[in-house]
Amino acid sequence: MGWIATTVDIILNSLVLGGIFLIMGVGLNIIYGLNRVMNLAHGALYALGAYFGYTLVAVGANYFLALLLAPIVVGAVGLIIERVLISPMRKRHMIYTLILTYGLMFVIDGLIKLFWGQETRFIQLPEFMQHTVSVGPASYPVFRLVILIGIAAVVTALMLLLGRTRLGINMRAASSIPEMVSACGINVRRVQISAFVLGCILAGTAGMLAGPLFTVFALMGHDILISSFVVVVIGGLGSLRGAVLAALLVGFVQTLAEFFVTEMAMVMVYMLMALVLVFKPLGILGEGKFE
Amino acid sequence: MIRLENIDTYYGTSHVIQGLSLHVEAGAAVSILGRNGVGKTTTLRSIMGLTPPKAGKVFINGLPVRGWPPHRIAGLGVAYVPAERHIFPDLTVEENLKLAEARSDQPGAWTLERVYEYFPVLGERRRSGGTKLSGGEQQMLAIGRALMGNPSIMLLDEPSQGLSPILVAKVAQIVSELCKEHGITLLLVEQNFRIALAMAGRHYLMGTKSKIQGEVSSAEIIKDQELIKRTLAV
Repeated sequence: MGWIATTVDIILNSLVLGGIFLIMGVGLNIIYGLNRVMNLAHGALYALGAYFGYTLVAVGANYFLALLLAPIVVGAVGLIIERVLISPMRKRHMIYTLILTYGLMFVIDGLIKLFWGQETRFIQLPEFMQHTVSVGPASYPVFRLVILIGIAAVVTALMLLLGRTRLGINMRAASSIPEMVSACGINVRRVQISAFVLGCILAGTAGMLAGPLFTVFALMGHDILISSFVVVVIGGLGSLRGAVLAALLVGFVQTLAEFFVTEMAMVMVYMLMALVLVFKPLGILGEGKFE
Repeated sequence: MIRLENIDTYYGTSHVIQGLSLHVEAGAAVSILGRNGVGKTTTLRSIMGLTPPKAGKVFINGLPVRGWPPHRIAGLGVAYVPAERHIFPDLTVEENLKLAEARSDQPGAWTLERVYEYFPVLGERRRSGGTKLSGGEQQMLAIGRALMGNPSIMLLDEPSQGLSPILVAKVAQIVSELCKEHGITLLLVEQNFRIALAMAGRHYLMGTKSKIQGEVSSAEIIKDQELIKRTLAV
């Protein structure tokens, strides 16, 4: 493979990996920004999305249908989690939901092992996605390109939701001054719950998009959770634009590192985080508005 | 119409409002005058449901609303303009207004266009970030946002805060005219009695722990400025 082909390969892989991080990091930030909950079960919900999708495909659904449905099921799970577990804790210190979601992560991991077992699963892709296609001088797997398009579609939908809809306006407002939102006649609790569910839907979507990339296994959510935190920290807690930039940066650094210094890939990511924090302790676009 | 009967409100563990009663007739403009920290803001927050009173009665248009969440109180036509304005920083001017829009078909309902007619500067800067505006413009935005909810009652907290005297006079005039023209009941809290005089006809003088020390008309204030100085003296 020539160097141009390698470069194309690295860029595409960076975008795919960065895109998955982006969807995860933005989801974490939306949940945190509106609920002051650092959702440690986010990786488990990502795994859940992949498993729901796997099962949907296994019983005959098309991958794309599963890509739409699985996140909705994860969103429903998120709604139950919010109502039953998070909501009663909301007047308490953040540490309560931190521990709660940490425990929840193990519960979901355990349930996954119970229902789907320990062995690795593979999501059956449509025939056309199993080929490769030429991208300039490189040949690239079609399914990775499809996933890249899927990521772009999710990001576009999210931008439209946050930028153009009433719910989006309410969410952006409630991330800074929730009580003023309620004084304007809006049921701010409903906005906060919607944000939690939206974050869970995003986690499920990321899992379903990542399933064909990394295969589906019970602990698939653990590594991604750590990477998503790195993204959130680098981007700045609560900053959506920061998360987008950081996700692409981390995706690029990790992909490059995997290519050149495979064993050191995660170390490089942490070094990047340390470097950013030395110069920008609140993250690239962090405003420090969250304590 | 607003009526408070013997309310007690706590801010954290501090008992800020102790047995406060007051009333504002429909269509009237009333002020609460008092020094910093006597509980003026907490009074407005108690009415709005943002800091709900632990005891006593709060009536809005005759309905007992103590314990209602703020959005339901807002739904009765109560608008709140906090002293800090609380403009949403992540929203544009237009989005700040849209957020508060009460989806109402009633004739005379406030729309973006009507707010822009009143405050042309908001129309000119509709795409700017809300907190990019100057202090005076942000005050207008906060008032415009309050209007978008088609209020019958407006709670206005220290409109003078952080504004130059000329701007304060302008804001006071605009709000007074607006309220008169649209029959909006106004409850204003202030430290500056000149602004209160310009905007309201009746005034409660509030002392420490929200104790009402007197109730005077604008004419009485003009006649006896010593009275005001005693109440507001530090």
